[in-house]
Amino acid sequence: MKKALLLVLFLGVVSAISGLCVGYVNSITEPIIAEKLIAAEKENLEKMFPGAQFAALEMTDEKGYVQGVYEVVDEGYAVKLQTTGYNSSTPIIVLVGFDNSGVITGVLALQQQETDGFGTKVFKEENISSLYVGKSLDEMPDLLSGATVTSTAMQNAISSAQNMLKEVVK
Amino acid sequence: MWNNFKNGFIKENPVFGLYLGLCSSLAISTSVNNAIGMGACVTIVLILSNCIVSLIRKITPSEIRIPVYIVVIASLVTVVEMVVHAFMSELYTSLGVFLSLIVVNCIILGRAEAFASKNGVVASAVDGLGMGLGYTFALLLISVVRELVSTAGITIVNPFNSTQVLFSFTIGALEPFKISLFSSSVGAFLTFACFAAFFAWLKNKPNKKEAK
Repeated sequence: MKKALLLVLFLGVVSAISGLCVGYVNSITEPIIAEKLIAAEKENLEKMFPGAQFAALEMTDEKGYVQGVYEVVDEGYAVKLQTTGYNSSTPIIVLVGFDNSGVITGVLALQQQETDGFGTKVFKEENISSLYVGKSLDEMPDLLSGATVTSTAMQNAISSAQNMLKEVVK
Repeated sequence: MWNNFKNGFIKENPVFGLYLGLCSSLAISTSVNNAIGMGACVTIVLILSNCIVSLIRKITPSEIRIPVYIVVIASLVTVVEMVVHAFMSELYTSLGVFLSLIVVNCIILGRAEAFASKNGVVASAVDGLGMGLGYTFALLLISVVRELVSTAGITIVNPFNSTQVLFSFTIGALEPFKISLFSSSVGAFLTFACFAAFFAWLKNKPNKKEAK
């Protein structure tokens, strides 16, 4: 019994020391990593919010569509979403811009290989502005007939992001 | 001590001699660049883990030595991974999951158990260095062949700044004979098998002194 306690204690001490070391290094490297992540995304963010300042936020949604959340200083939020439409091998990756009150300002497709002429219609400029732009946090994005699978995938992802943003947008 | 160091290269080369750490060495030896990065990370982890294991060898209860080693190795790998992610993000992306899988690389746990837990700190550090360089050397051999055959050239970039190319050449004569198969896993196995056969021959060829 005494022996067992000693073993537990030893392993506990070793783990605690290791944990401290890892935590210390993490505190040094974490801000640098966060900066790098923004730098990688900055080019895309700039297209949506030219000339703005960005800060990465640590947020996730319940359904796992959200890949990254960025606060656009004084302007709003940008959310990177990944969802699967008709093409199961290449997921759709979009960047959705929100203003400070949570109204969608724009959608930018970063990667999509949906069926040409059907699913791709969702990402045409006139459809983006009618389906998504101007929707507040309580409004669901619309579906597009003829591209139901793709626009359903987008609807799910965007409404999940809207739910997530309700926490920060007052 | 020199023998400890030298052993790591040929006779007990972790990859070709002991057949340890094959998973990572086959997977990331597609380019010389990755090989150097991976080799350096493994060497650093190996030296540090050998040192720490050797330092605590007298106070570690033998019943729980393996869990203790794993905690030590896992923390070291996590630290190395975070540093690479922060300062060499290109390398981090190209090594991907294999960087964190150094934890389960049998070379490291193997050396901790077989050598560092029985020897002094300095000897263990030298053993770690020898084994680490042996692993790097094996990775380099495989990756040079694979990159040369699959792309007809070799490019090494600065790990801290991926746009800065340190060293690059292409052999024009090989250009029409590129075999892209060698960048896939089949090429890894073919290259590895040839080298392993060569090293086996090197190890087993009759030694003149022994023959007497």
